[in-house]
Amino acid sequence: MGKPQKVKDIFMKTITYLGSGFSLLFLTITMIFIFSNGFGLISFGLFTGDYHAKYYAGRPASVECEGCEVTDELKGYYSSVYGIALYDDFDRAGNVVIKVSYVHENSPLLNMLDTNNPNQSISLKVDDVVTRVAFFDQPSALTRNGASMMIQSMDQSTEIRELTFSTLGGGIRGSLITTLYLIGMSLALALPIGILTAIYFSEFAPVNRLTNLLRSFIETLTGVPSIIYGLLGITLFIPITVRLNLSQGANLFAGAMTMAVILLPVVIRTTEETLKSIPNSYRHASLALGANYTQTVKKVVLPNALPGIMTATFLAVGRIIGESAALIFVLGTAVKDTVRVNESSTTLAVHIWTVMTDEPSNIELASSIAFIILIIVLILNIGVKYMSYLINKKLRGVV
Amino acid sequence: MLDVWKKTQRNNERPRMLGRNDKILYKLLLLITIISASFVILIAVFITLRGILPFITDNSGLGSVDLWNFFTDTVWLRGQTFVSTAYGAGFLILNTLYIVFLSLLISFPISVFTAVFIAKIAPEKLAYLMRTAVEMMASIPSIVYGLVGAGVVLPIIYNTARSLGTHSSGGNSTLAVVIVLAFMSIPTITAVSEVSIRNVDENLEKASLALGASNIQTQFKVVLIAAKSGIFAGVILAVGRALGEATAVSLVAGNSRSGPNFGLFDITSTITSTMLQGLKETQGIDYDIRFSLGVLLMVVIVITNVLLNLVKRKVGKLHG
Amino acid sequence: MKKIIVLLVLIAIGFVTLGCGNDGFDSSQRPSVYTRDTTSGTRDGFMKGIGFGDAAANDSLLVDGFATRDNNAIMQAMTIDEYGIGYISLASLNDTVKGVNFNGVEPTVENVINDTYDLKRPFMYMLRANDDWESQEIKEIAHAFIAFLHSIDGGDIINDQGAVALPSNYTWESVRDTHPICQGDNSALTLRFGGSDSIQRIAEALSAEFSPRCGNVVTENDHTGSGDAFRRTQGDQKDQVVGKHIGYASRPFRGDELNTPDDTRGQLAWDAIVVIIHKDNPVDSLTAEQIKRIYSGEYETWEDVIE
Repeated sequence: MGKPQKVKDIFMKTITYLGSGFSLLFLTITMIFIFSNGFGLISFGLFTGDYHAKYYAGRPASVECEGCEVTDELKGYYSSVYGIALYDDFDRAGNVVIKVSYVHENSPLLNMLDTNNPNQSISLKVDDVVTRVAFFDQPSALTRNGASMMIQSMDQSTEIRELTFSTLGGGIRGSLITTLYLIGMSLALALPIGILTAIYFSEFAPVNRLTNLLRSFIETLTGVPSIIYGLLGITLFIPITVRLNLSQGANLFAGAMTMAVILLPVVIRTTEETLKSIPNSYRHASLALGANYTQTVKKVVLPNALPGIMTATFLAVGRIIGESAALIFVLGTAVKDTVRVNESSTTLAVHIWTVMTDEPSNIELASSIAFIILIIVLILNIGVKYMSYLINKKLRGVV
Repeated sequence: MLDVWKKTQRNNERPRMLGRNDKILYKLLLLITIISASFVILIAVFITLRGILPFITDNSGLGSVDLWNFFTDTVWLRGQTFVSTAYGAGFLILNTLYIVFLSLLISFPISVFTAVFIAKIAPEKLAYLMRTAVEMMASIPSIVYGLVGAGVVLPIIYNTARSLGTHSSGGNSTLAVVIVLAFMSIPTITAVSEVSIRNVDENLEKASLALGASNIQTQFKVVLIAAKSGIFAGVILAVGRALGEATAVSLVAGNSRSGPNFGLFDITSTITSTMLQGLKETQGIDYDIRFSLGVLLMVVIVITNVLLNLVKRKVGKLHG
Repeated sequence: MKKIIVLLVLIAIGFVTLGCGNDGFDSSQRPSVYTRDTTSGTRDGFMKGIGFGDAAANDSLLVDGFATRDNNAIMQAMTIDEYGIGYISLASLNDTVKGVNFNGVEPTVENVINDTYDLKRPFMYMLRANDDWESQEIKEIAHAFIAFLHSIDGGDIINDQGAVALPSNYTWESVRDTHPICQGDNSALTLRFGGSDSIQRIAEALSAEFSPRCGNVVTENDHTGSGDAFRRTQGDQKDQVVGKHIGYASRPFRGDELNTPDDTRGQLAWDAIVVIIHKDNPVDSLTAEQIKRIYSGEYETWEDVIE
């Protein structure tokens, strides 16, 4: 081996290291970006909270707060007249807000007259956002003046005319529920059809043109871009659900049907591969014992294909969680807090799309949702690996 | 093929020993399989039918869209929305192909080198790590790639453009789309290439080594050449996906309304990004034209696929 | 993270200014120009207000070496950078910086409302024509909304978002009884807003607070540009899917838009912009032309401006 060759070899070797270095770098950047931007908003409230804030306006019935001289250290600024503490913070869209950190049990703000529904009473809670305090005798205290000014104004004034406040908003509960619905409904459609098709191909299909044709049709589905499935949903599935009186427009049924078609090739291929890997000795044994084909399939083939079906399920769930383009068309982009199967709503991935295309876009909330999606995908990946380990172990045990 | 049924299958008939129950099951399964397979036809028929409507109806009095104009014009819509029907998607075709080609220039070398590294060069543990990393990349949803593009790539491009003294609108540009698509193509090409590299006949490798070639020389001059057909298959797969990618692209494209946009720092738009543009508040012809774009997208994908497969066959024949 | 970057930048600027010595204002220095980014509505209003509309969305027309900052960062920079010049919305102005008189008029809320201060633009609204509503209910709700946005309570929301609301002398509570529609349940009705995107934040804040005050009417804000305020309420798109009940415009109505009944349009606020400089800067007043020359780089030093 000549010297120039050696130099060349080292050069080429370095290049392969560089190439994979690049790939690894891309992945690392993605992970770091999502985790660093998204982690800040992850909290219990994010999962359980509404996306749309609810607004209230009330007037305290009294200005008395007995025993409200709190000495403990509280977050932000404290009004001993009204027994509440406020602090400056940001909401989930990054806007400056004033939040409630403490409400004394005797605070008059716990019993306010709802100025929008005069016969009801409303109360201010910890973590609510105070948007404004209006008075009779002085200018209103606004969010832009800060929590310290707001508390000062409240303490100076004789009476509050109106206190407007809202819940925090920006939560993803609705999208989470839609995602779960969609997973359940799409799997309920795709798994039976996919598994039965896989059984046909692996156990029954004769070798002929028709089989090849059917197989190539299903293979072609893999190459269809998801945005095209979205169009299919609009022209075929939404009209079907409307015709069946299930809905008037975009809805979860149509979303699940569209998703099911997208999932079919994955489910079929994964299941069929597992079915084929089941040794024929199993089938022979069953047939030799007098079972017919149906019984063999039901009692022997299917149970042994279970890890493969689990793999298909995991892959399918991953695909549902990540799908955006098709669902934008079939399921809409408006985030809902109350999810109904016959109306439009958003999955987590479409929620990212919605907050990214809003003006201004909310990268932080989008990253938090992406963070959640990546964690789920990671767990699914581990699940797939474990299943393939199970399949391998089983087969090794037999052969 | 299962040998239980081998005989009957070869004779091109249904399994002979089927009982009554079995026959019902067989028919049921065949029916379901036909349903599964019919979706691709449903897609083609339904979308094409809806997609040609703007060209053959008068679009509630606005006049029909000119087909020739649609394929060749360089402005998406001449005149006012909901009034004019002078839609043109010619520049979108060019933009889309141009972007996918550029993204391939980045992703192809990186992917092939990564694949060689994983399959042949890396120590076992490192190869395992890289393989897991590539699998992870493959399972990241496209919307997340779009988000990373908007959060990381756009600011970098914006600042680069500024330091180069050119203008970019917030980083939304051809370059941004190219980079995001390259990110997304890497796992596809790498995974397929790695498999085909590992499947190369070991004897070929041994022969080369025996002839005195170095290991690296063998990998690049013998194994890679032998695996080229498989690598090309990976490229075809990646190109198909890149052509059809929608959400990630439209988050970083800037969505130009006329073109073609060849400048790296200029805003751009693709067939898919235009389909998603202004979706919330549209109707009538402006909505229906999206189906025409869908048909156009399918045609572009099929033609590209056929051409690439022809090239692949040619390339496969060279070098025996 | 952002805060840290801002802090570092400020420290850096601080060192530079300290290094220059602190012995008075050196008018042979270059003005350091600060601007909002091209997506900002304030920038759009500012550039158009000084007669430099081409630069509203095009950074390359600005003087070399300008800095792009957000509202707060421009304020903070002006407390440190003696030779800086920037612009903010009037509501953010405080006494840590100097607000420059524009064409000789002092930037105050009074001068904005009495229409003498010129670096501003009006925020307008337009309703559907009186006989062109899909139902009497939605028409009454829309009129209740207009009453709300002219009330003190509506004005607070507008002021909180940085614009200058028109003066008002009544609260929503005092006029609610004249809008009985708001006492029922309106959650099945949708009020659709559109028009200017620079009013979007104000409009969304108004919608959000109005809904619970009027029987939880559903509100939909879809902002596409000032031109659509007329087009989608009384113009050629009013009966399409994109048609709106109320449209906003961030400029005076003009041309065809004025051929609409007077009682279907009005103003809700002013958006006033103030040019700010460091307190040590001797300049007190600038004309539109002078500001344009600073931003385009025609004036190379503060001396050129003062002369």
